[in-house]
Amino acid sequence: MDLRIFIVKRLLLMLLTLLVLMTITFILFRIAPGDPVASMVSASLNPGARESLTRSFGLDKPMHIQYLLYLKNFLRGDMGQSFYYRLPVTQVLRPKLVNTLVLVGPATLIALIMGVLLGALTAARRAGKLDLFGTVIPLAIKAVPPFWTSMIALLIFSYRLDWFPSAGLRSPGHAADPILEKLLNADFFHHLALPLTILTLHFLAQPLLTMRNSMLDVQGEDFVEMARAKGIGERRVIYHHWIRNALLPVASIAPLMIGAIVGGQVLVETVFSWPGLGREMVSAINGYDYPVAQASFLIIGAVMIGMNLVADIAYAVLDPRVRLE
Amino acid sequence: MEVQPGHERRRSPHHTLLRGLRSLFKAISGQLNIVGTSRLGRLGLAGLVFFIALGVFAAYLAPYGPYEHVVYPDGKPATLEPPSRAHPAGTTLMSHDVLSQLIWGTRRTLVIALAASFSSIFIGTNIGLAAGYFGGRTDNILMRITDVAFGIPFLPFAMVALMTLGTEDIILIAVMTSVGWRTPARIIRSQVLTLRERPFVSVAESLGASSGRILYRHIAPNILPLAFITTILFVGESALVEASVSFLGFGNPESISWGQMLFYCFASQRMRVAWWWSVTPGLAIMLLVLSVFFVGRTYEEVVNPRLREW
Amino acid sequence: MALLEISNLQVRYKTKRGQVRAVDGISFQVEEGQNVGLIGESGCGKTTVVKSVLRLLPRTAENEGIVSFEGRDLLTLERSELDKIRWKGIALVPQSAMNALNPVIRIGDQIVEAIQAHEPTTRKSARERAAELFELVGLDEQRLNEHPHQFSGGMKQRAVIAMALALDPKLVIADEPTTGLDVLVQDQILRQIEEIHRRLNVSVLFVTHDIGIVAETCQRIAVMYAGKIAEYADARPLFERPYHPYTLGLMKAYPSVRGSKRELVSIPGSPPDLVVRFSGCGFAPRCPFARDICHQEAPEMVETESGNWAACHRVGDMDQLRKEAGKAVTWTQMAANQL
Ligand SMILES: Nc1ncnc2c1ncn2[C@@H]1O[C@H](COP(=O)(O)OP(=O)(O)O)[C@@H](O)[C@H]1O
Ligand SMILES: [Mg+2]
Repeated sequence: MDLRIFIVKRLLLMLLTLLVLMTITFILFRIAPGDPVASMVSASLNPGARESLTRSFGLDKPMHIQYLLYLKNFLRGDMGQSFYYRLPVTQVLRPKLVNTLVLVGPATLIALIMGVLLGALTAARRAGKLDLFGTVIPLAIKAVPPFWTSMIALLIFSYRLDWFPSAGLRSPGHAADPILEKLLNADFFHHLALPLTILTLHFLAQPLLTMRNSMLDVQGEDFVEMARAKGIGERRVIYHHWIRNALLPVASIAPLMIGAIVGGQVLVETVFSWPGLGREMVSAINGYDYPVAQASFLIIGAVMIGMNLVADIAYAVLDPRVRLE
Repeated sequence: MEVQPGHERRRSPHHTLLRGLRSLFKAISGQLNIVGTSRLGRLGLAGLVFFIALGVFAAYLAPYGPYEHVVYPDGKPATLEPPSRAHPAGTTLMSHDVLSQLIWGTRRTLVIALAASFSSIFIGTNIGLAAGYFGGRTDNILMRITDVAFGIPFLPFAMVALMTLGTEDIILIAVMTSVGWRTPARIIRSQVLTLRERPFVSVAESLGASSGRILYRHIAPNILPLAFITTILFVGESALVEASVSFLGFGNPESISWGQMLFYCFASQRMRVAWWWSVTPGLAIMLLVLSVFFVGRTYEEVVNPRLREW
Repeated sequence: MALLEISNLQVRYKTKRGQVRAVDGISFQVEEGQNVGLIGESGCGKTTVVKSVLRLLPRTAENEGIVSFEGRDLLTLERSELDKIRWKGIALVPQSAMNALNPVIRIGDQIVEAIQAHEPTTRKSARERAAELFELVGLDEQRLNEHPHQFSGGMKQRAVIAMALALDPKLVIADEPTTGLDVLVQDQILRQIEEIHRRLNVSVLFVTHDIGIVAETCQRIAVMYAGKIAEYADARPLFERPYHPYTLGLMKAYPSVRGSKRELVSIPGSPPDLVVRFSGCGFAPRCPFARDICHQEAPEMVETESGNWAACHRVGDMDQLRKEAGKAVTWTQMAANQL
């Protein structure tokens, strides 16, 4: 099958997934404690404002109308008013999304590249079955929740050694506004270092283990031997035949890795008080700020679905057999 | 005495169930024997047995109750005491004994993890069996549903669901299952796809066996090892999920788990002074999950001989 | 000087169960333009020999001896020099052609890759060469752009043969080139290999468990059993007057693809576990003619007729044994005794 048809199919599936996600969210928030009005409109507003908001979300209308209105509002980018900030949710969440992306983006990229490289390297060196960097350390990382590693990192590198700040994304008084200035300064990197390292370590374990295993699997494959028999040189055998095919299982477990990335991000943001989407969602839920909770959940879901799409396409590009499915 | 036909019929379901259970038990103990063949596997098994024993006998092993306030001999509450002879793992801000909480917490961690794993694997395996065996439309629909399930961000979803539905254990298990089935469904399906091509399936088909019979009598026993290893690894994953959910404050306040201990520790903002409070529960999680990984990995090496050579 | 000369080759695999002595001191030659058959049941060490020649053994294997190709010892050659001989001097049609093609690379590109590694040609002319090769083996040139999963088993086999011929090698080693294909396709492939041998004048080392196949294609034959050469002779005398009971058994056991109508009787038992060391002749436990000495002492290679060799304690009684081996009951009796 053509790659293009595959991509179109995956795009449709992505839209379906998004719709399902929104539907689940709609249902969950309707069965939240209290009446539906309470879940969208703050009780602390004056009666006039309450009424106008109630009407704009159609909360006085029958359920199916509410559902359609909800979809429509979301697609238009109107996600209601935050109870806590008294601001439109989009306005609250936009900077949080940026903060999340500057952390999760680099962490994912570095982890993927390093994971694959280290996996390939440790497999090629094959220092016994239980080598330290190829198995023991990644397994140990996988065996602990990211929030705990974050806590331990804080304990050691921030509280004990005082090398890194313990919270937030910049020191007080360091509030430059234009986004570039905001992100490209030493103070910001100082704050970024610890959470970025922890996240990278956690994201890296799975691709490393998978890559290492699949390197060992592929190395015995007949086509690798055949490539070697062709006398094309060991470099080419390794890169074009061995590593390239060993990458396929890594691509195939992308959905699992993406799930771990999203969860890890929420936890690490919470521990490091990183003002991102995940932490915002946690505090919104704890503070019953339903509109923010709902919107941040949907945005996280949308980002995740987008990542899945990219991974699917990458897999199909790497392996022509996938397009048949 | 004459045996009534009706009698026969009434007794046989029990009989089948019993036989089924017995063969399941046999199968599982057989699988465990496989694991015992390597040092790593035995280490993992020992770890699992250790934690299960802790959980089962928590009431006898824990010196204090999970929320018992411990005091010094002079009657003052023992708050944030570093590890000592009386409290080997120290005490918390609320003057609870960390070691006791750790032991009590084992129970909840294990119960949630086991329950969530079994239900996830049960549902996922059946979906995978159906999709792989029937193929075509059924497969297509079931796999698209699975794809959609892979688009749900697990941890955020669990938070939202627990917020709206409540934080009882059964709800946590249900929430974990409602997303957890997706992984075994995919794994089992691809295995069934290869099994389907084996001659014994077409032989059974040509002998006129019903599809239910082929699925559960012929194919299912062959995926048992895979389902088993998936379950084991899932116990580890579930323990991590439970810890994470509890850490974010969605634990059940009426019981204690390792994640909850870490939640209290973090929320009390005493991490800086009380390292023992944060270090020990994390180590417990690590040991449990590593035990699970060791068992799983050994098992995989034995079942997948390709890995064994290296 | 022979094209390929193997002297006293030994290969051992290290495994958890102990050393597998897969090849235990074998010697044979392939002359230029000659087709040689290396035959024996599965598990006798044939593929191990092939892999030693091209130095494709896994790291768990150790080897000793000399594998000399045009006078150069391949086992000790530097890697870069070896790579020059691979494919240009010796090409391989591997045992499992099904899996010999990289599933994610277009088949044409896999052929082009081999050509460009050895000849300073442009991609375009390498591509044209690949198209010619496809035509030679009866594949549509359009299919060069396809991936292996779009090919049937027989087509993959042809593609692999085309690939083997890409650089006009002096020697092609074909390891079970027809195993796993259906009979019709097997026959086509064999015809193809014969024709290629005639047209291109390459030597072929033909490795198979099917003694019928090599009867017509090869001039010289080495019969291998349990890591050793049992018999090594010119094809015609070997088929007319075999000097080893194992050869007799093989002839009785395998139908030719070309459809011989002989009665088929398999050799009872199976090749020995090569981890276990044995003192006598490796075939003795399955041999209907074994005497006490066969179980105690390994037989030496003796010249049976000029240039032909066999390793059997009973070469002297062969006229008699051949007659007995012709009867099915000799073998079935043996099987019954083993039960
Ligand atoms: N990689 C390996 N590791 C250990 N033993 C092997 C390996 N490859 C082959 N063997 C053993 O070596 C013997 C010869 O195998 P092989 O060369 O494949 O024989 P053939 O090609 O004649 O079937 C067999 O007993 C086989 O089990
Ligand atoms: Mg072979």
